[in-house]
Amino acid sequence: MRLTRKSSQPTGQDGLGISRRQFLQRSGVATGGLAAAGFMGQGMMKAASAQEKTAYSDAPVETKRTICSHCSVGCGVYAQVQNGVWTGQEPAFDHPINRGAHCAKGASLREHGHSTRRLKYPMKLVDGKWQRLEWDQAISEIGDKVLELRDQYGPDSVYWLGSAKFNNEQAYLMRKLAALWGTNNTDHQARICHSTTVAGVANTWGYGAMTNSLNDMHFSKAILFIGSNPSEAHPVAMQHILHAKERNQAQVIVVDPRFTRTAAKADKYVRLRPGSDVAYIWGLLWHIFENGWEDTQYIEQRVFGMDDVRQEVAQYTPDVVERITGVGEADMRDVARRISENRPGCVVWCMGGTQHTTGNNNTRAYCILELALGNIGVSGGGANIFRGHDNVQGATDLGLMSHSLPGYYGLSEGAWRHWAKVWNLDYEWIKNRFDQTEYNGDLPMHSNGITVSRWIDGVLEDDANIAQRSSLKAMFYWGHAVNSQTRGPEMKKAMSQLELMVVVDPYPTVAAVMNDRTDGVYLLPAATQFENTGSVTATNRSIQWRDQVIEPMFDSKPDHEIMYLLSRKLGFADEFTRNIAVENNRPAIDDVLREINAGMWTVGYTGQSPERLRQHQQNWHTFNFDTLKGEGGPADGEFYGLPWPCWGTAEFKHPGTPLLYDMSKPVKEGGLTFRARFGVEYDGQNLLADGVASKGSELNDGYPEFTADMLKQLGWWDDLTAEEKAAADGKNWKTDLSGGIQRVAIEHGCAPFGNAKARCRVWTFPDEIPKHREPLYTNRRDLVKDYPTWDDVASFYRLPTLYSSIQEKDVSQEFPIILTSGRLVEYEGGGEETRSMSWLAELQQEMFVEINPAQANDLGIKNDDTVWVYGPEGGKVKVKALVTPRVARDVAFMPFHFGGVFEGESLADKYPEGARPYVLGEAANTATTYGYDRVTQMQETKATLCRIEKASA
Amino acid sequence: ADPDQELNQAVGTINADTWREVKNGENFIDTRHDSTYSLINTSGETWRQIRNDWISPAGLIALGSMLAILVIFYLIVGRNDLDEERTGRKLLRWTALERAMHWTVATLFIVLALTGLNLLYGKFVFRHAFGDAFWANLIALTKLTHNYVGPVFGILLLLMLAKWLTVNLPRKHDWQWFKQGGGMVGNKHPDAGFANAGEKAWYWILASVGLLVIVSGFVLDFPLFGQTRDNMQWANMFHAVTSLILMAVALGHIYIGTLGTEGALEGMTTGYVDETWAKQHHNLWYEEVKDSAGQPEQQNPPVDDDTATANRPN
Amino acid sequence: MAQMKFLCDAERCIECNGCVTACKNANETEWGIQRRRVVTLDDGQPSEVSISVACMHCDDAPCMAVCPTDCFYKTDDGIVLHDKDICIGCGYCLYACPFGAPQFPKQNAFGERGKMDKCTFCAGGPAETKEEEYEKYGANRIAEGKLPLCAEMCSTKALLAGDAQTISDIFRQRVVYRGHKDGGWSSVDKAQASAPDVSANLDNMAYDATRAEK
Ligand SMILES: Nc1nc2c(c(=O)[nH]1)N[C@H]1C(S)=C(S)[C@@H](COP(=O)(O)OP(=O)(O)OC[C@H]3O[C@@H](n4cnc5c(=O)[nH]c(N)nc54)[C@H](O)[C@@H]3O)O[C@H]1N2
Ligand SMILES: Nc1nc2c(c(=O)[nH]1)N[C@H]1C(S)=C(S)[C@@H](COP(=O)(O)OP(=O)(O)OC[C@H]3O[C@@H](n4cnc5c(=O)[nH]c(N)nc54)[C@H](O)[C@@H]3O)O[C@H]1N2
Ligand code: HEM
Ligand code: HEM
Ligand code: SF4
Ligand code: SF4
Ligand code: SF4
Ligand code: SF4
Ligand code: SF4
Ligand SMILES: [Mo]
Repeated sequence: MRLTRKSSQPTGQDGLGISRRQFLQRSGVATGGLAAAGFMGQGMMKAASAQEKTAYSDAPVETKRTICSHCSVGCGVYAQVQNGVWTGQEPAFDHPINRGAHCAKGASLREHGHSTRRLKYPMKLVDGKWQRLEWDQAISEIGDKVLELRDQYGPDSVYWLGSAKFNNEQAYLMRKLAALWGTNNTDHQARICHSTTVAGVANTWGYGAMTNSLNDMHFSKAILFIGSNPSEAHPVAMQHILHAKERNQAQVIVVDPRFTRTAAKADKYVRLRPGSDVAYIWGLLWHIFENGWEDTQYIEQRVFGMDDVRQEVAQYTPDVVERITGVGEADMRDVARRISENRPGCVVWCMGGTQHTTGNNNTRAYCILELALGNIGVSGGGANIFRGHDNVQGATDLGLMSHSLPGYYGLSEGAWRHWAKVWNLDYEWIKNRFDQTEYNGDLPMHSNGITVSRWIDGVLEDDANIAQRSSLKAMFYWGHAVNSQTRGPEMKKAMSQLELMVVVDPYPTVAAVMNDRTDGVYLLPAATQFENTGSVTATNRSIQWRDQVIEPMFDSKPDHEIMYLLSRKLGFADEFTRNIAVENNRPAIDDVLREINAGMWTVGYTGQSPERLRQHQQNWHTFNFDTLKGEGGPADGEFYGLPWPCWGTAEFKHPGTPLLYDMSKPVKEGGLTFRARFGVEYDGQNLLADGVASKGSELNDGYPEFTADMLKQLGWWDDLTAEEKAAADGKNWKTDLSGGIQRVAIEHGCAPFGNAKARCRVWTFPDEIPKHREPLYTNRRDLVKDYPTWDDVASFYRLPTLYSSIQEKDVSQEFPIILTSGRLVEYEGGGEETRSMSWLAELQQEMFVEINPAQANDLGIKNDDTVWVYGPEGGKVKVKALVTPRVARDVAFMPFHFGGVFEGESLADKYPEGARPYVLGEAANTATTYGYDRVTQMQETKATLCRIEKASA
Repeated sequence: ADPDQELNQAVGTINADTWREVKNGENFIDTRHDSTYSLINTSGETWRQIRNDWISPAGLIALGSMLAILVIFYLIVGRNDLDEERTGRKLLRWTALERAMHWTVATLFIVLALTGLNLLYGKFVFRHAFGDAFWANLIALTKLTHNYVGPVFGILLLLMLAKWLTVNLPRKHDWQWFKQGGGMVGNKHPDAGFANAGEKAWYWILASVGLLVIVSGFVLDFPLFGQTRDNMQWANMFHAVTSLILMAVALGHIYIGTLGTEGALEGMTTGYVDETWAKQHHNLWYEEVKDSAGQPEQQNPPVDDDTATANRPN
Repeated sequence: MAQMKFLCDAERCIECNGCVTACKNANETEWGIQRRRVVTLDDGQPSEVSISVACMHCDDAPCMAVCPTDCFYKTDDGIVLHDKDICIGCGYCLYACPFGAPQFPKQNAFGERGKMDKCTFCAGGPAETKEEEYEKYGANRIAEGKLPLCAEMCSTKALLAGDAQTISDIFRQRVVYRGHKDGGWSSVDKAQASAPDVSANLDNMAYDATRAEK
């Protein structure tokens, strides 16, 4: 029967109550240019080239263990291979994270091994046409060109944009490649994902990572999702969340501008105005302080600066909060009560919190809320930051970022010397690879490079304004989409100004088609992670091992091979792989991991040897589903994937740390304290923990980070072996390459990094205590006066960065609607990969914008109409209207996974033959705008403005 | 199957309101790309019951009883012979075109009837009797034939009906004809024009029930116009019922045209009827056209349409 | 004999389409044919709820009853299968089916639809060889002692597949844990239900079909 829709809205407009799916069902037919759907209602739209069914085979089945590459949940997979063909995928019921479960993306992994829409061989653009190349020629032409650019403009003119899709070893090699090339102009998705989390959280208590695990959420009594939508973004995490809900009667609370699919499973949903998270959290704390619901003892012993927070929070009275967030007092109090009465509880945040100019404030505010409730460092509590890509945690840890070397060592001389030593290279040699000119008083070697969010400006900005020798001349897009960065029209311009573009990716990506160029573009086919082996770090810091499932398809090569070939062409192959065996041009993954183990003392990536990781991989079934602890078997007592920090050397057999800062366990068994990262005192106040330490600690009070001297003072020095002593002397827990200092500290029950308080006040940040600040583009001009943004910054990550000069301009008359963006379950990121997989593409065939029914009525738009969404900086996208009560009246939402259509024009014929994704659509980021976090250069994708008009045709 | 039962199985703990909505097909969406299905197709079961429990047995009964009646009628009453001797003088009754049309339509009808019946009842007979392979081919051919022949039949039947419209317009004397049971009651032959009232009835059944068969058949055959599943269920029931009626009546027509009436078939095969036959069955028509009667040899073979029309003053 | 059934727990289904895609993976149905679909009611409203539906392998299957070719059959496990060699693509099964399970590769003039396709409970279908079976019907996991991939891969274990008795036991247990107020479950004491040991019965909560098979 033809469905009739009932609407709860009074308007009687026929699009009401319809959803994105319904709408897609219809519009898909239209785009397919096929007859209207008949009663059979299926498959009118044939894929242009229907796929061949995998041939049945009775050849012997080899089963490989691998990990889903589509998000950080880290689901395990059994891949069945027959005669080198990936013929089956079985659920890994014994996998301790997913128990066989998958969302749409994970369930379609096998299609990676059959995708016909891949980039098949190296290609370059010649006179606007794609021309096939041999690898040798491609590497040689690209190498010659970048060497020429290096001569002319210096090493900083080449940008090495890497990927969270790399495994740990590749991510590490990529960072090393950029370092040895002589630049910090390298980055990956974390910048535009959780950079504000990492900065905010690490500056609060030490490490910028999820504190607990998905499994540990079974023990939560309250779970507060703020700016996170796991039903679409981390679906298998919902398995654990629903466990908590069912078994523990956990309160599930969702705070989000949209009524999400997660909200549909919540006990309480709160609709928030985009960009008002700090005010919301302060609003909760106001009630908590007002009622004395905070955990005073915990605060006293383990938290610094809560009094400063109290002062700030006092200003966020219920009416102030309602004015800023749109949430009334009753709702605020209700949520405050729920999370206070149900402890332990955790907070989960994602992009709704991070992707703002104020992201660093948001993330700290969430941490402070959890600290006030005493929820950090306890099972069932925590800051459960769901990370993004499958290996974004690992790539971040391994420093594939413009502001640090691997392991968050930073860019100081000490950091470089540490890594030079690990790499077995001469510090001076590395130094000489860099541009030796100072800019704003900094050598490029020690100054933060340009970020992925700003590479456009790195190309377009005047040389005089950039804190490096010249603007960017060449871009490597190495496993990174471009439609995931804001300001599409300017990006297009930047692309046309570059001298060289190199895409290294299994798919051509939008970069290949939106560049408006006729030459100077190279496409190099990379193998996927299923054509590779290596380790990958899940959101809970567990490091998982992937078997290679199939051989690289077509003429593709694994990333580390391509990196090696380039290093050879560029003349530093020997330095690049000094400690690493190279076979068939591939650096040995095990050796790379060992090098990582040798240098990553800060985050404890030292105990996870290839052997131990493989052992965990082979024994999935021995780990407990609640605690991740090995029960019997070869990994008895260890935590699955040796979640970092896994202290000391592999021989030390540290079990990994399942919950960060959990003092109820000895450090040796995975316990931890807050890290003493910010000194021992500030403003005359003690920063170390007060009278508490982790279980079994021989030091019963706070203590600073361990150094050789401290061991001597404590009389523990002689616990070191002779070799350890030699290596450790004059060093500290992060620079002692023998691991002895860590070992001895832990033997005495201490955390190598000290035992401090978490800090609520970050004196190195522009807002020491988080503050609400209006987004740069806001339609609440009344709030701009009271909560203005920051002043412009002349040079920040090498670039001028604007704040107030943008906010001052009032565009809210022409652009009255708040535009936010986010995810659909079927697609990932820029989406070229997932839109090239027919099983997924079939499910979402058209780009759309969600508009509230009342707003749609005001605008005279009906469901399924084609509309233009205009951004205030001139970008515009032509998309379908999806009229739904999911969004609030003055908010519009777009998914950002589409690409291949630009401002109404299809770029379909610009794809290399046979490599066009099944589904194309406008990129949301064509309409998004300027706006970067004041600490990390995170782009603002979650709160800008737009105007929506019905398109004439 | 009990949809309520299945539905309770399918979903756990959502409330009665939701279920009401589900059943009504309200306010839901579906991940299938262009699906227009509701979650629960409650009418499907009704359709199944009507088709399987009512229409299909009723059809068998209808066709069976019709056959039985005709057999009995034949055994009791026998053929309706000519009352008088044939004169040997022939009257043109059906032009070649008309005959061609009739026989094409008739053949197609029979093909459709047989294939239609096979769709409805074949599985009870042939699959078990001849095995899967034979059945698979037979039923595939059946469906193919029925679906392609149907529209051709439909168009031709419409043309035929159009062509014979004028002679089949009802007249006063037709009423009388019925009263006398077409001549079976009493011994006087009732008045009849070119077409007697019985033929007219057949004609109008074709023009009504037949039209429904065609229309419903088209709905079933061309699912390209956004027909919903409900529409299809209705079309199917209509089609089955009307076609079964038609088949039953057609049996009667065929009987009369062959075994039932002496000399009728002649007309439809050769085009000419004997003067005696015309006088007996279509006296009014005979009166009008008797002058044109002649020996077959004298006739100019194929007579064109105009002539034929000229022969027909009703 | 087992009576195979699906049961989708609406309180857990998050409309992630894992099941839909898993089916594609197992059976490689062509573009346009999704043996499973996820239906969401009241999308975007507080009462939003989703369930995943495919062929329910009805006890007294309407599709079977109306098929003019009689090409359906029921296995000993209660799985409703059909023979594509005999199917003529008439669409009757779809008219009758309560769940919109049957699908067709095309829908053209003269009722040309190709062979009907529907969920096989991952039990393949009638064919001479395994190649042919896979080609026509997809995987036969049941023959390999495995359960349907859609349910096995369900991201939240909302979708249960297996012997009716087993899955309803699991489901009943969940309802008990939830302490649901209405329905036949209300007599269970909520406090008692939230057992202190969270891992008790976890195997059932995260329904592991391979274990249930034993
Ligand atoms: N299917 C799928 N899964 C993915 C990915 C994918 O691309 N597709 N990507 C992975 C990656 S890289 C990441 S980072 C994660 C991201 O995972 P999420 O962050 O959970 O996903 P988003 O949809 O970007 O944003 C979450 C929610 O933030 C809300 N939001 C918008 N503005 C605000 C605001 O100002 N305040 C608050 N509190 N909320 C706001 C949005 O309405 C949205 O519902 O997902 C990962 N998983
Ligand atoms: N408007 C808006 N924009 C956003 C967001 C938002 O919420 N709204 N979210 C942001 C976030 S959180 C993120 S993380 C980004 C994500 O956006 P991106 O990370 O830019 O998007 P992806 O498409 O995931 O990019 C990964 C690329 O890596 C390729 N790839 C896969 N495997 C491999 C491999 O093994 N080797 C190589 N070399 N390549 C591989 C894929 O084909 C794909 O092209 O988008 C950001 N952009
Ligand atoms: C084997 C089967 C059939 C036989 C033997 C047969 C025989 C005849 C004969 C002998 C006539 C001429 C009657 C007369 O001259 O007055 C006739 C007329 C006719 N037949 Fe048939 N017929 C057959 C099947 C059909 C079928 C299937 C149809 C329709 C679908 C049909 C429709 C007609 C019509 C419309 C007329 C004309 C009646 C009128 O003028 O109103 N016949 N048939
Ligand atoms: C007068 C002659 C006709 C007869 C006696 C007839 C009879 C039947 C019968 C008995 C069925 C089976 C119904 C069931 O199983 O429920 C059927 C089905 C069907 N008929 Fe007819 N029909 C006739 C004409 C037509 C015409 C004119 C068309 C099309 C224009 C048509 C199209 C169909 C279709 C499409 C089906 C469904 C069968 C399938 O698609 O497999 N029929 N018919
Ligand atoms: S995308 Fe994430 S949740 Fe989905 S299967 Fe992969 S790892 Fe699991
Ligand atoms: S196809 Fe429909 S009617 Fe047939 S068994 Fe499956 S659900 Fe029941
Ligand atoms: S489409 Fe095939 S299976 Fe369905 S009723 Fe018709 S013949 Fe039977
Ligand atoms: S049981 Fe098998 S065929 Fe049926 S929907 Fe699930 S995966 Fe598909
Ligand atoms: S996989 Fe499970 S949770 Fe996801 S849509 Fe299917 S039934 Fe629902
Ligand atoms: Mo991300």
